[in-house]
Amino acid sequence: MSGTIFDIKEMAVHDGPGIRTTVFFKGCPLRCRWCHNPEGLSQKPQLMFKENRCRHCGLCYKKCDHEECKPFGRCVHICPQNCLEITGKTVEAATLADELKDSAKVLGNTFGGFTFSGGEPLFQYKFLLELIDKLKNYHLCIETSGFAQNEVFKTVIDKLDFVIMDIKIADNDLHKEFTGVDNTRIIENYRYLKASGKPHIIRTPLIPNICDTEDNLSAIKKIIGESPWEKLPYNSLAGAKYKMLGMEYGL
Amino acid sequence: MLNGSKLYNFIINKEHHKYRHSVDWDLASEYSEKNLSPIERMIDRFERVSNEENPVILPDEKIVFMRTVSNLPAIFTEKEWDEIKSSHYIHELGFISNLSPNYYDTIKVGLLEKRKSADEYGKRSIDSIIALSDRYLKEAQKQGRDDLVEVLSRVPRYSARNFREALQFFRIIHYALWLEGNYHNTVGRFDKYMYEYLKKDMDAGVYTEDTALELLEDFFLSFNKDSDIYVGVQQGDNGQSMMLGGMDENGNEVFNLLSELCLKASCNNKLIDPKINLRVCKNTPAERYTEATKLTKAGLGFPQYSNDDIVIPALESLGYEHNDAVNYTVAACWEFIIPNVGADVANIAALSYPKAVDTAFHTSLISSETYDEFFEAVKSEIFKETEKIHNSIKNLWFVPSPFMNVLMDCDIYSGGKYNNFGIHGTGIATAADSLAAIKKYVFNEKSISKEDYIKAVDDNFENSPELLHKLRFESPKLGNNDDFVDTIATALLDAFADSLEGKINCRGGIYRAGTGSAMYYLWHANEIGASPDGRLSHEPFGTNFSVSLFANVKGPVSVIASMSKQHFNRAINGGPLTLEFHQSLFSDDDGIVKVGALVKNFIDRGGHQLQLNTVNLQMMKDAQIHPENHKQLVVRIWGWSAYFIELDREYQNHVMARQAYSV
Repeated sequence: MSGTIFDIKEMAVHDGPGIRTTVFFKGCPLRCRWCHNPEGLSQKPQLMFKENRCRHCGLCYKKCDHEECKPFGRCVHICPQNCLEITGKTVEAATLADELKDSAKVLGNTFGGFTFSGGEPLFQYKFLLELIDKLKNYHLCIETSGFAQNEVFKTVIDKLDFVIMDIKIADNDLHKEFTGVDNTRIIENYRYLKASGKPHIIRTPLIPNICDTEDNLSAIKKIIGESPWEKLPYNSLAGAKYKMLGMEYGL
Repeated sequence: MLNGSKLYNFIINKEHHKYRHSVDWDLASEYSEKNLSPIERMIDRFERVSNEENPVILPDEKIVFMRTVSNLPAIFTEKEWDEIKSSHYIHELGFISNLSPNYYDTIKVGLLEKRKSADEYGKRSIDSIIALSDRYLKEAQKQGRDDLVEVLSRVPRYSARNFREALQFFRIIHYALWLEGNYHNTVGRFDKYMYEYLKKDMDAGVYTEDTALELLEDFFLSFNKDSDIYVGVQQGDNGQSMMLGGMDENGNEVFNLLSELCLKASCNNKLIDPKINLRVCKNTPAERYTEATKLTKAGLGFPQYSNDDIVIPALESLGYEHNDAVNYTVAACWEFIIPNVGADVANIAALSYPKAVDTAFHTSLISSETYDEFFEAVKSEIFKETEKIHNSIKNLWFVPSPFMNVLMDCDIYSGGKYNNFGIHGTGIATAADSLAAIKKYVFNEKSISKEDYIKAVDDNFENSPELLHKLRFESPKLGNNDDFVDTIATALLDAFADSLEGKINCRGGIYRAGTGSAMYYLWHANEIGASPDGRLSHEPFGTNFSVSLFANVKGPVSVIASMSKQHFNRAINGGPLTLEFHQSLFSDDDGIVKVGALVKNFIDRGGHQLQLNTVNLQMMKDAQIHPENHKQLVVRIWGWSAYFIELDREYQNHVMARQAYSV
């Protein structure tokens, strides 16, 4: 079956053990206000416009007959500066798996494995499961918000080697306010993860005054106990991509 | 740590420049009137200038000798030089460059011993150096510097007895080579020839690792005292390259405590000299790459890696004896040369691949019925070009250099044991991408007519934006681990090597095909207009063996895969794959280990040479606007590192245009 991804990154060094290749799934049920991958939110293809390179030549407004350009009213195959790009492509799991295996071949025994990130990879869990099945001989890792039905979470996690999971905000109301969803499932899924004995790490983005408060951090600590925990410093450039997508940054 | 000390700051703030003066002697006219031979002129100038030098010893400075005479007056009148040029092939400035002299033997026996076997001019050069060193000795006595008095009472007259004397001895020789007027004076396999002195002192308990490191940092600082006088094409292009590690004659690895300390000293000093190179091979442990990557993180653009598994057999297949091949080092940038006995001219000329493609595109595309036929036309242009280069280099002549001749184990005037000429190959990605596009669109898909394609290129794509976009951003590019393009790069490199095979140069040596570009990535790019890969007129090529500047590549893993497929055993003049990594990649130890692992992978795959640049685009942009805030920002250019703000704009812009891989 097919799924939607928006990027494949070679030489990912911060997404799990070894030199990894990370696949970014497009589409996410959360709407974290600080999200630094806004192209991962919607599952639909989107037009990305890199305005800083634009020389206002207007060529992209020329009529074209490319099917993919139609929804946007602009041609993405003409810009001399390559300012316009459609983010999000639909790929067959089998095709994607073959492509991914190529980079694994290059790296041989220095290859760490594959990481599924996004967006939220569990949002396309059927596609993800097929991909996992085709790549089962490799070390597989997921970066997830943990927001998924318990059954889905269990089925996927059981097939993986390593889990990187966010617990962003412990308080359910605040979680709803800043991410758009309830965290009950996330915490249930975390408990399953912990009980399963699967190697994992919990991540908390240190969003100023939202996640980095003492209350929040101590509450998270209470939930996760001795689970490995990584606190990610807030990236002040996180909002940069919003403008390219014609979206507004929530922070 | 020396970094931050008074002495260190004194040098990096260029306060020692106040001891300098220039001389306005009209030596050329004087020599011309006396009708002196070139070698008499060289020795006379050396004697006068070394006599004019004032000994300067700074407080706390352990390794002394710095230039106080900032210029070397010409030894030929313009007319004489024109005459020499009209009857000889003059390489670059005409002086000896890019050799690796025998520091080991010299330091081992002392200059008085070397004097015995030197010719009359060599003897005079040695006498001048000893005289100057005696004046340094007097200055040391005057300042009550007993430590220096002891050292300078011994060297350079006699053999060094310990690490400090050996380092000081090296400094004096190296300084003298520059003062003689030679340039791109390399350092060679430093950890190989210096280790025994360090080991002896360590065994005797003279140093701890920390105190040895401190001394080494002082020694490393000495390379930066006069380097602003030694300008190549740009400031920083001075060829003070040091080689570490690698196999010895018995196949054992040289890497030792001194090698380790050199990596650390460079990391601590954070200065662009000496430029560090590291020889590695399949057996090099992963931890060494991690240690070396810590130096990469320092942002100096080195170490540069060379792969023994590829370089040594390739040099042997070109006719180098095994014991010489295993002893290779690099010239100023990355050209492989043999210390002590090699007199190769490793950078004598350069082939432009894109020009060969451009000529064939305009003369043979229309008539070619298949891609293979068209490629034959390109190949024929490459053959024509190297034949032209071969025919243009006749009667090569260098200004004699008596002291360099003393330090070499061969007579450099009549040629060394090896007299091969190295030729760079520029713009391989531009050429390979162009050929891939021609193959795909003209011959396979037949989607672009030959006439339209040629017209579009000639019009600099002004009336064909769709085609331009497609060629630049949606066509096969070198660097994506795509055999369709990668094999074309292989075929180009093979054609280059084929074209040189069997040619004997004017000194009786052979020609070596290379993968370097030197400054030709800018110069050659201006010789043609737009190219069939969508490169616009006046856009530069990539440096050395690199992907095109605007290629959309998947990432560094695909790049190393693409760029390690070629037959380097046939094209081993040198010239590295260059990768730029964003600083953030090195933000933690994990990142450092992984970058090291990527380098190891490139070497294990059979890549021949690699240099890594740590870049920060934001910082470079800011440095263009506020240079005063970024005096120490270092970037790697084509085979050497430089202070960003001291570069001309076109070189700055090129570094900024290269693709950086971030996390």
